[in-house]
Amino acid sequence: MAAKRLSLWLAAVWAVVVLGTVLHQVQFWRAARLNTDVLALLPENEQAPAVSAATRKLAEQSQRQIVLLVGASDWSQTRRAAQLVQARLATQPALLQPAAVDAGKLDAAVAFYQPWRDRLLTQEQLRALASAPSEQWASTALMRLYQPAAGPQFGDRLADPLGLWQDWWAERAAESPARPRDGLLWLQGKGQQWALLNYQFQGAAFAVTGEAPLAELLQASRVELAAQGMGEIRLLAAGVPLHAEAAAAQANREMSTIGWGSLLAVLLLVWLTFRSLRPIVLVGLSLLIGCGVALSVTAMLFGQVHLLTLVFGASLVGVAEDYGFHYFAARQGRPASERWQVLRGLLPGMALALLTSVVAYMALGLAPFPGLRQMAVFSVAGLLAAFLTVVCWFPLFDRGALPQTAFARYLANSLTRWPRWQPNRKGWLLALVLMVVLGVGLSRLQSRDDLRQLQGSPAGLMAEQLEVGRLLGMPSPGQFYLVAGDSPEQLLQREEGLKARLDDLVRDGVLPGYRAVSDWLPSLATQQRAALLTAQAERHALAAIAEQTGEQPARPVQAPQALDPATWLASPAASIIAAQWLGELDGKHYSVLMLRGLSPAMLPALNKAATDLPGVRWVDKTAEISSLLARYRLGMSWLLLAGYVAVFVALAWRFRLAAWRALLPTLLGSLLVLALLGLLGVPLQLFNVLALVLLLGMGVDYGIFLLEHPGDGTAWLAVALAGVSTLLSFGLLAFSATPALQAFGLTMLLGELLIWLLTPCFRPGEAFAREQVEATPVSQLATANHQP
Amino acid sequence: MKQWFRYALLLCLALPGSAWAADIAEAVKARLSSPQVLRGQFEQQKSVAGFKKPLLSSGEFLLWRGHGVLWQTRKPFESSLVVSPDKLSAESGQASYQLESSREPALQAMNELLFALLAGDVAVLQKRFLTDGGLRGKDAWVLALTPREPGLARVFKRVILEGERHVKLVRLEEANGDSSLIRFDKLVEASAPMAEEAKRLGR
Repeated sequence: MAAKRLSLWLAAVWAVVVLGTVLHQVQFWRAARLNTDVLALLPENEQAPAVSAATRKLAEQSQRQIVLLVGASDWSQTRRAAQLVQARLATQPALLQPAAVDAGKLDAAVAFYQPWRDRLLTQEQLRALASAPSEQWASTALMRLYQPAAGPQFGDRLADPLGLWQDWWAERAAESPARPRDGLLWLQGKGQQWALLNYQFQGAAFAVTGEAPLAELLQASRVELAAQGMGEIRLLAAGVPLHAEAAAAQANREMSTIGWGSLLAVLLLVWLTFRSLRPIVLVGLSLLIGCGVALSVTAMLFGQVHLLTLVFGASLVGVAEDYGFHYFAARQGRPASERWQVLRGLLPGMALALLTSVVAYMALGLAPFPGLRQMAVFSVAGLLAAFLTVVCWFPLFDRGALPQTAFARYLANSLTRWPRWQPNRKGWLLALVLMVVLGVGLSRLQSRDDLRQLQGSPAGLMAEQLEVGRLLGMPSPGQFYLVAGDSPEQLLQREEGLKARLDDLVRDGVLPGYRAVSDWLPSLATQQRAALLTAQAERHALAAIAEQTGEQPARPVQAPQALDPATWLASPAASIIAAQWLGELDGKHYSVLMLRGLSPAMLPALNKAATDLPGVRWVDKTAEISSLLARYRLGMSWLLLAGYVAVFVALAWRFRLAAWRALLPTLLGSLLVLALLGLLGVPLQLFNVLALVLLLGMGVDYGIFLLEHPGDGTAWLAVALAGVSTLLSFGLLAFSATPALQAFGLTMLLGELLIWLLTPCFRPGEAFAREQVEATPVSQLATANHQP
Repeated sequence: MKQWFRYALLLCLALPGSAWAADIAEAVKARLSSPQVLRGQFEQQKSVAGFKKPLLSSGEFLLWRGHGVLWQTRKPFESSLVVSPDKLSAESGQASYQLESSREPALQAMNELLFALLAGDVAVLQKRFLTDGGLRGKDAWVLALTPREPGLARVFKRVILEGERHVKLVRLEEANGDSSLIRFDKLVEASAPMAEEAKRLGR
């Protein structure tokens, strides 16, 4: 009686927890805070917080930018098309706003720099002014003065008799190939005339609603262009919001297929096996509660839930159903009054199974990837909640009869018909064939650790992003130099030292160009030198002009002091390159020097350019992440080996000489998966290894169950159902567009299938079964049922 | 802001008269001849802020349709300017400089414009400028050009062209207040440039 009261009390407590989860879920989905950033899945660089800060700041800057390029072979057509696109995008002001027109910004920057113009010289000007004879400056000044106006002139001619100021600006403008033309930004490339349109994304973070308003708006623009007879016009779009939107829409699709797909499959299996509404409702309930609790716990622990966690989490359905299956498989064919006993009999086994799965999932969280930790927490919480739902609620609601069905009997009996491996000639021959397959497959296995594993952006969108990047010569956010200094002045001087090296690479045609803060704010030392050189050359220039014209032109007054970082930072000019000025961090000052037009072939030379320069660090984010993935692939492989040893020791302690029967199917299945990957030419990566870790945790369970309940058809029934549903949900994960999840799903799918097929082949023979048959009442009952 | 107002004002003024402006452009085009090569002499008066007297210079020039401009200053000192579709180069005494359109993409447009100004190519000019003007007598005409785009407005406030069969006078009013008055004289048409001239223009 006391036990009954305790169980009622537990059921009530669990009801309160479930109610709380429901309330939290309602709130969560109303304002889903989902993270779509791939980088959020990766660990922060703890050894170098400045590198992380730099990456973050560069990412923040581009968070809302959308760049459009409209291209045609003829500029007038480009203009018409651009106007059409602009009009179309203007219909959705809540989504997109044109970025501020650059002309006003440029005027403000020119006005700001004016007083210091004598201190601003390009590298080339510095070299020329230091080396050319004074007569050359006289000639240059006269030539410029008498020539017809042929270019933009900032301010009056006498203030800049050598055109130094003007050329400095020309070099600044060369950072972008776009030029104002007819009220648009114009550039040429790939034989086309392009108009550049800059937009700011106005929407909030992306929710998983499956909508893609940005993509739809762009598509509508393309349709309209085609309708206006401008079908051959090219419209290219690039920007972080587009990728985030695509990721959110894709995650929504995949969550639906994986989540609802495996839920349906599980419920179908339940219906086939039990032919009763009660198991369907209860198993469905345990799964929903499992997923709900998983999501709530993850949201509460991490604040934000990553999209990939949701996609991965959807496969939880195929694992969390195990407990419900075990309960109903054992309960079937027994009177309702025995249901508490049935549960009590199952409890130790189920708790052990939960524990092994939880340990396996936690092992995923060992890698310091925030994304994997989220997935681990999500899965552990979900499994625990599904387990508790079975334990606290199932016997309470599961009243009434549950007769054994023909399908269940058929499945349970299939164990006796299953082939068994025996150490005879045929058996050893099979083993030999298997060894050959394994040998060939494993010898062909290669590995690849690549950031792209995490990137699931549609190929079309990626191609457009790359093309826009190439046309605009946009700097790469993944490779840059991080420059550090004890003071802003030291920092800028070190940047200039680095630039001197890079200028050689630019001259040799290795590197197209770079963007540095010191281009816009030279060090005080360089400003000092520039001021002296300018004064000297312009004195010669003005003297020559005076001699030629008979007038006495005077050099305008310049700012007496150099342009200092504080003044510059407070000015409108700083906004041009603000993202690359990181400011002070732990007493050091940092800046980022970015590179334009990068290609992989340049990377070794760039890496070499930074060596032996104090305070300069070459950062290759892509390589860094790849080596991180490689490190953890190896680390997790060792962990996997250690796991096998530990599991074998535990099994040997429980099953003595028969232990190999539980472990061998999992080991063989995992090795066969690796061999298959090798034969298919699919490279091995971290996420395959992680799947193998999880396979060890789950696959061994099947062996354990068959050893614990030898010859027991109901145990086999539960194992069979669990295997099929796990297979289905991870199989669906294999269809994910995110390469990492796909690799994970594929490994799980193949591994589960092989382990599931192999496990009964190594079940003990009749003698062993008779020895162990007294173990549990449930198995006694089952074997009794199976007597022909 | 001021610039914007001026631009808007011009746009308003230009709209009702655009049909008439198109007629003027047609009429001017009808009076101009468009030879392959045009040679002549120039005299330039440049008024520059900070100088009491205008700066005078003179020399010869050559226009070669589709290939560029040679601008040879003889007085007060020797100086040359060569503008072709893919580069601009200048030389005087010890000084010289070069711009290439592969490095400075706007240069090509600038060169096209300079050629159009000297040759009175109304069709090209109308793309870049709001055109206004009128006919004078039997042969003469005047065009007043105001830049359409802010980029060009940074260089020129206004450009006046006068001519008959050829452009006889160009007045460049720069955005910074300086201005140049260029008169052309002794204009001779030809069908091809001389070998040396063609070489300087990179052909």
